Amino acid sequence: MSSAGTSTKIETFIQTANLLSRMNRSQPGARESRTLYYRMLADYYNNIHRARQEGKLIAAHTVFFPTEVLYAMDIVPMHMETTTWLSAFLLKEQSELLAKGSELGLAPEICSPHRGVAGMFALQEIPKPDVILWSNLICDNTAKSGELLMELTGSPGYFLDNPFQDSPGELDYLIGELKEMVTFLEEVSGKKMNWEKLSEIIERTNKEIDLYREINELRKAVPSPMNISGYLELISADYLFPGQVQAIEYLTKLRDELKSSILNKEGAVTNERFRLMNLFIPPLHLLGSLVNIFDEQGAVSVAEPMFTRWSDGKLDPSKPLRSVAQKSFLIPERRSMYGPLKGPAIPDIVESAEQYQVDGAIYWAFMGCRHTCAAIKVIKEALNEIDVPMLTIDCDIIDPTVNSEDEVREQLMQFFEMLEDR
Amino acid sequence: MNTKSTCLPTFERFRAVNKAFPKTQEISEIKQRGEKVFGWLCTYVPEEIIHAAGILPVRITGYPREMELEDANAYLYINNCSFSRSCFQMGISGEYDYLDGVVAGSTCDGARRLFDLWRHYIDIPYSHILTVPRKFTSRAHSLYYDQVKLFKSSLEQYLETHIDDAKLLNSIQVYNEARGKLKKLYELRKADKTPISGSETMEVLNASFRMTKESFNKHLDILLDELSRSREKHHGEARLMVMGSVMNNPEFIKSIEDLGGLVVTDELCTSTRYWSDPVVVDGVEPLEAISKRYLNNYPCARMVPSEERFDRIKKMIREYRVDGVISQIIRYCVPYAHDLPLITQRLQEIGIPILSLDVEYGTSGSGQVRTRVQAFLEMLEARKR
Amino acid sequence: MQTIGIDIGSLNIKAVVLGSEGIIGSGAEVIGDDIDERASAAIKKALNQAGLDEDGLPVLATGAGSKLVANISQRKTLASCLARGIHFLNPEVRTLVDMGAESTTVIRINQKGKLADWVNQDKCASGTGLFLQQMAKLMGVSLEDLSCYAIQAKSKADISSTCAVFAESEVISHVHRNPPTPKEDIAAGIYHSVASRTISLMKRLGITQDVAITGGVALNGGLVTIMQRELGFDLIKPEYPQQVAALGAAIIAREKLHKDLT
Repeated sequence: MSSAGTSTKIETFIQTANLLSRMNRSQPGARESRTLYYRMLADYYNNIHRARQEGKLIAAHTVFFPTEVLYAMDIVPMHMETTTWLSAFLLKEQSELLAKGSELGLAPEICSPHRGVAGMFALQEIPKPDVILWSNLICDNTAKSGELLMELTGSPGYFLDNPFQDSPGELDYLIGELKEMVTFLEEVSGKKMNWEKLSEIIERTNKEIDLYREINELRKAVPSPMNISGYLELISADYLFPGQVQAIEYLTKLRDELKSSILNKEGAVTNERFRLMNLFIPPLHLLGSLVNIFDEQGAVSVAEPMFTRWSDGKLDPSKPLRSVAQKSFLIPERRSMYGPLKGPAIPDIVESAEQYQVDGAIYWAFMGCRHTCAAIKVIKEALNEIDVPMLTIDCDIIDPTVNSEDEVREQLMQFFEMLEDR
Repeated sequence: MNTKSTCLPTFERFRAVNKAFPKTQEISEIKQRGEKVFGWLCTYVPEEIIHAAGILPVRITGYPREMELEDANAYLYINNCSFSRSCFQMGISGEYDYLDGVVAGSTCDGARRLFDLWRHYIDIPYSHILTVPRKFTSRAHSLYYDQVKLFKSSLEQYLETHIDDAKLLNSIQVYNEARGKLKKLYELRKADKTPISGSETMEVLNASFRMTKESFNKHLDILLDELSRSREKHHGEARLMVMGSVMNNPEFIKSIEDLGGLVVTDELCTSTRYWSDPVVVDGVEPLEAISKRYLNNYPCARMVPSEERFDRIKKMIREYRVDGVISQIIRYCVPYAHDLPLITQRLQEIGIPILSLDVEYGTSGSGQVRTRVQAFLEMLEARKR
Repeated sequence: MQTIGIDIGSLNIKAVVLGSEGIIGSGAEVIGDDIDERASAAIKKALNQAGLDEDGLPVLATGAGSKLVANISQRKTLASCLARGIHFLNPEVRTLVDMGAESTTVIRINQKGKLADWVNQDKCASGTGLFLQQMAKLMGVSLEDLSCYAIQAKSKADISSTCAVFAESEVISHVHRNPPTPKEDIAAGIYHSVASRTISLMKRLGITQDVAITGGVALNGGLVTIMQRELGFDLIKPEYPQQVAALGAAIIAREKLHKDLT
């Protein structure tokens, strides 16, 4: 590690996650899965923290990156956007990262987590990665952030070019990209890909995706067994530990808990009044207050199709690399945000609204995310057609200067009043 | 820049086309004859294929000035770039109502969403989007070649016709001719005193994607001849290069030149990157040659590695003897925004100052832009002493 | 029985007393340090005007500052109150544009007079009442004069409709241009930029007629005129456009009262 300060952030993550995990455990009636979730966070950053000691490489990567490959090669992944999100959510330290990002010359229109990532590396607040991996799945920001990071860290990098559609040749293109990346990583690490291990990971990924599907089914229950923060925890499992034991453990526990909640007719909130669909991601630094507002108003998040609707399909462990590529085509985020809008994005949202009996939808219009916002009107019109009102809240997912808690509360209260009136 | 008003009859012809666009006389004649006109969105859409199908390809551009984009703000949301919003506003206002098709590539988020919403809200008989890889590798070339083939066959199916190699070769020739002539036009700008200004060049370029290439080529020939005999000479206190987001507003360039700079070259997709590389039919199928050219062409900021683009920029700086670079980036044009710290550093390394402007599409370069350009020119002037 | 509605905005407090036929008294106060005291003062004024001096009438508060008031327990959000208020005044109104000092909200009202949808102004200051005041100050004229200039203008200066900061520097450059851009044209440019932003917001929601305009900015003749020109139809402007939210609050208070009684 280059300086004493380097490890501080990671250590604080671990300490905070451990603390939250302990606090959760000591709370009567608290879900054990949440304890596992915090432990998962602690584990994840522990891996990064110990990587040097254990002689492992750290690979910093953008969202929705196929880290199965890294796990199979014993390279420690560092999810860059999650790391800035956590900086906002756990430590409330995002402002200085964003300030540093803008000092580097990154325009305010650039997605804030990406400005934050650059700021984080420039401030040397997290360990220097040995390699930078980035991809155009999901947007121009993920596609363009890697080169500056390579320069800031002096690390080599690989850009994984993800095809836009699924016409003939596109899957094979991605497989080719993955092959080349594996070769690149073998050269950097001096270690060979462990294909057997990758097969095992794929096998577990199948299990993981099945668990996701099962959980999605369970969440149709009335009253809803999960609250607003639930889905953000839920999706993290695949972001951090795809095809890993930790994810399976957490998801299995969660599934079992949901089952028993449903059996006992226990809702996540005491008096369920509003079943909501959340589109995109709320300001993460306000998550605590959102949970309070939702609880006090009897609101629950029952569906988040942009992040939870997986495509049909099973991966073949005997063709592990092909399966890694295929998984990129299965993930909910690709369905909802990548490829032409004419695809499954809008029907997914409409169908979810019906299946989950939602009373209303909230679109968190993150100003740094241009391509998702461009679909807001189309989504709103489609939902209005089935008589589901949609509230749009302009926001930033980590920048605290964009919305105040009061302002968000006011909007939500107005929406609840409106739903009540209907 | 010292200049008198230009007196070039052919140039006026181009200017008239731009003034009338999107509803030019030529286009209405074509439509009256029952022929088709397609709009295309990015320089990664292979125009030759549309041309070979007997369709006039015109480039979709936005309003020539900064406009109130009331509908587009509502449809595309306020955080998509003003280029895509300006184009959409024109589309939803019916300015492009004669288009028989719209073709786009998965080039950037703004362009792809413009395409998505265009086909969702604006009645259009044919639409197609190509997956455009972001790399220059042979694998990327083969994927893009597949996409070009797919586009061609989709078009053939829609038109119930066959686009054969002879037609493709003819289109390649017509387009290469235009590229060659535009290159000649640019060559004239390498001189100390140029017969054509930067803003005038942009007007020629604008016309180049708004006319039939055949007619454009004919007129550009005459213009080149007129220019060779012209006594008009433009000279600036500083030789400038304009780079950054899509921009086709001559007023913006003119405002820089009115302040005493001379824009001698650029890195814009509406100018240099439109004509820069020819299609080389050299022992390969015409379709493959087209696909090679489009992916390998002077790259947009969307491509990785960006060094390819930076190298080309540096090469142009040498060739055109550029004193300073003006970067204009439209707000929310994320690909260029990400590259800004990188290119700034590279230019610093070779001692070329850069002025970076945040703009909106169609800006005329008034107000603060003017003040900043003026200060930049003064700084360049001071460096010379 | 009478009810009281009070709208506590970011700059002003508006209170109305609602009788069986409509508003029977109103009062306004400027926001001060002690909001509770100011709110009481506004209510007292309204009660005086209504010829009432009794305390203990049901009060319902709305507006951004309403949660800062300790002694009023009933509360509803602004959009709900605006919807009820405008429906009472004009049941044909389906779209309402409320332009206050610091924010603009567009509301859709259903046939029952209930809030059906709304959209808040995006994160920027260039469409607000305060922005117009700043621009007037920048040009060294009163807001009334700016409004008159804008209506009289034959052409308009280009002012960015995207960003208040951009707009400000553009106005300055027009003022200092040699020769300076005529005041009328600059004023028209400013008003067009605000109108355009507002109409854009309306389009985000979808414009269903009739359309009403409320809030303090509705008193600004220049803006209403220019918006009408751009929209191509007339806007309904209540006689007291700043009181509509308070009126709606009083109506909701009355409805609650009836509900509690039955």
